Amino acid sequence: MKKTIIAVSLHMAILIAIIAVLGSASGTVEQEGQAQFTGELERNVVIRILENDTAKEQGYLQELLDAFNAEYAEYGIVAVDANMDQYSDLENDGPYGYGPDVLYQANDRIMRYVAGRHIQPIPVEQLDCYSEISESAWEAYTTEVSGQEYIFGVPVNVQGPLLYYRKDLLPDNWEEDWDDDKNGVPDMVENWNDMYAFSLWRKSQGNETFGYMKSLFDPYFAVGYLYSYGAYSFGNNNTDPSDIGYSAGDSELGGWVIRQLASIMNEWCIDDTITVNAYNRLARGDYFATMTTPDVYTLFIDEMVAEGMTREEAVENLVVTSIPKLPASGDLSEGNPELIDSKMMGGVNGYAISSYTKAPNACLAFVNFATSYEMMKLRSEMLGVVPARNDTVLEVGGLALVINRSLEEGNIIVMPSIKENAQMWTPLQTFFTDVAQDAYRAENEVKYASLEAIKTALQNVDQQIYDAIFTLQE
Amino acid sequence: MKKIKTKPKKQTPVLVKILKEGNKNVFASALCMGAGQLMYRQWAKGLLFLLAQIGLVAFFVLYGAGAIAGFFTLGSVEANPWYGTEGDNSVMMLIMGIFAFIVLAVYLAIYWLNIKDAYKTQKRLESGRAIRPFKSELKGLLDSNFHMTALTLPILGVSVFCVIPIIFMMLIAFTNYGGNIIPPELVDWVGLSNFGRIVTLSQFAPTFFKILGWNFTWAIASTALNYFAGLGLALLYNKKCVKGKAFWRLFPILAYAVPGFITLLAFRFMFSYGGPINQMIVDGGGTAIGFLGIDAKWSSRIIGLFVNAWLTIPSSMLLATGILSNMNNDLYEAARIDGASPFKQFTKITLPFVVFATTPVLIGQFIANFNNFGIFYFLRGGLYMDGYFLASDTDLLINWLFNLSIDNNYYSIGATISIIIFIITSVISIAVYKSSASYKQEDTYK
Repeated sequence: MKKTIIAVSLHMAILIAIIAVLGSASGTVEQEGQAQFTGELERNVVIRILENDTAKEQGYLQELLDAFNAEYAEYGIVAVDANMDQYSDLENDGPYGYGPDVLYQANDRIMRYVAGRHIQPIPVEQLDCYSEISESAWEAYTTEVSGQEYIFGVPVNVQGPLLYYRKDLLPDNWEEDWDDDKNGVPDMVENWNDMYAFSLWRKSQGNETFGYMKSLFDPYFAVGYLYSYGAYSFGNNNTDPSDIGYSAGDSELGGWVIRQLASIMNEWCIDDTITVNAYNRLARGDYFATMTTPDVYTLFIDEMVAEGMTREEAVENLVVTSIPKLPASGDLSEGNPELIDSKMMGGVNGYAISSYTKAPNACLAFVNFATSYEMMKLRSEMLGVVPARNDTVLEVGGLALVINRSLEEGNIIVMPSIKENAQMWTPLQTFFTDVAQDAYRAENEVKYASLEAIKTALQNVDQQIYDAIFTLQE
Repeated sequence: MKKIKTKPKKQTPVLVKILKEGNKNVFASALCMGAGQLMYRQWAKGLLFLLAQIGLVAFFVLYGAGAIAGFFTLGSVEANPWYGTEGDNSVMMLIMGIFAFIVLAVYLAIYWLNIKDAYKTQKRLESGRAIRPFKSELKGLLDSNFHMTALTLPILGVSVFCVIPIIFMMLIAFTNYGGNIIPPELVDWVGLSNFGRIVTLSQFAPTFFKILGWNFTWAIASTALNYFAGLGLALLYNKKCVKGKAFWRLFPILAYAVPGFITLLAFRFMFSYGGPINQMIVDGGGTAIGFLGIDAKWSSRIIGLFVNAWLTIPSSMLLATGILSNMNNDLYEAARIDGASPFKQFTKITLPFVVFATTPVLIGQFIANFNNFGIFYFLRGGLYMDGYFLASDTDLLINWLFNLSIDNNYYSIGATISIIIFIITSVISIAVYKSSASYKQEDTYK
């Protein structure tokens, strides 16, 4: 018995010794790395490009890839479609070698990757577009790491809400009755007070006709009313998640504006009904105006054509302009109010380069090529987006100028670029839904009859966002 | 006649027997796999064991030892992708550590098999029988030992594809993985502190109990509704008087065939302010109703219950239809002769039979409903209610878990709450199953 026990013990001891000795000897050795952008193009490499679905569907990505591949054929660099979901998460895929080499996403998504070093700081001064892109757009991709400022993305286009309205639905006498300043622009698209009055008038006509219509629960479009009266998302220029400011300043006036806007619509403003039917209802003439992003312009035109207009008539009748001004008092029923600029949430979509790419210099060459004047212009023409390059904006004109001017004037507040911004949507959506619902509650069930009640609800929103960020954080 | 009680003879464990009685060849196999077999001149088998030992030791020398060490440390060097510095990936180290432990278990199993085999050969020789040829043993793998041949690969497959992910998920609960700590950041073991945090966080308790109460109500109500409605439909379609049974059965099956989330989104639209139901109400002169709105706690809950019934009743109906086809009609005939009413026949014959046969499925449905993520996520997601901590009044525990953890990338907290949900549901399942007729009277209907 002893012999067998000794043999088993010996066998186990050897096995344990192997595991213990070799296990403790194993481990990664820390090594000194080196900067990736050496300026020397890698040869015979394939780089995977993640673009958005619209760019793929409209054929822009293929045009871009073909042009780039032809330009860099002598180096053997081939750019291909990464064939991934447009919202794919580099944080989860990159460390395991699955992510793209170059990715096109919104600034808030791209900047989430900085903390884990999943994307690289880009030597943007080497890019041809550097001087053509405005400082505000670069700011969306600038952050401090270890005390030094870096830029992690290259702005491609700017997103921001615009007002869409039907010129042919203006009252016949608008130049006399609805253009007090006689500037040739209807007052209802210049300030919310006149839009409010005009919407009330249209609603009173019955037959499901409305003035301004927009789903109010959506924070992307509704948070601007809070910003306009002093709210902010995060403190220290949107970098400090411990300072949440939706109840800051007089933001309750913004909440009050939303409640008043809800009253000129119907219950559809509480959920996503208007978001879904706005194209058709505006085309049918049921809605006079709505608010959305510039990239859906062609959808409105297509619907208007489907409703019997010629394309020329549709283009003539659909006007897109900047967001009307707000009353300083927050009271939309006030006559001759003091007006302030409307601020709205926007975003800057751009390119970033994955830290896991094997060909960083080829990626940089791709980004340089894709942000060249010609490609940005082509992108804008094919996709209807607002380019971030100033020279392309001047060339494209129209909406691009409106959006870029808003960005320059600080009326487009770029979405926070910290990962904590993921926590702001649900509390805000709940608040906006509740305020919009309030306009349709029975008198004895109204929750937001006073500005104090709105302020308290906004403080609750701040607290919820804070809790969502910090409760589980160590 | 009085029964004579005999004390069962105490069996000596095989291990003790081997240690006590093993000869020098067993000793050799205990020292080095296959050595005993080689000493018995069982060349092929001995070499196979030896090769297994060499292969497995080589695995541990080259990789396994490091993987096991990595399992405990979860890495020490942080990667810096900016400079191409390869560091440790804690999550991969955890997974590969679990894999190395499984290989270690395989090693020990083969080692045990090797000693047992040498001992069996010793006993065979001692009883005067010849050593079994290798070919005959191989043939045995297709005959008397076929279960081993058939099950080896599936067990290995289950270990790699099922056991590793489950163990991985459970172990995550004991780390700080998530939030800001995601590779390339290094993850650490934190013991039971995640459980401690859930218990001690004052914001959690009131919401947890509110949601738990609703979760139980939901699970019981929806399971009962789906089960009895499914049974009712099956009984209806079983009636001789129903013409075109196959045609009528098609409708619930069609509802079942449509992907669940599409059905849910369709119902969400139907009950929205601009949906057809409100359109009809408004056209009829009424005011639009927020069926799933922010103030609609109970109407949302009831709609959720019925939408879930729409999705689940077809499967209950199919199950009951299958079981009812096995019913013995003589029982009903006898009952009718005895004057039993149709209701009595249902409660005394049909129901006990169907419940007996479907108790495990019923428990499965209860668990599925308890953890039904999709219903309220798709019908009424995106709201946090007053009095709830980051949750809505229709959220189930699984939805709250999503808000708290996955939505916020707190994977370790998510794993911790999953374990808590698992404990709750498994305790209920075991308790219900053990007290059911399906378990107590297993042989009744055999």
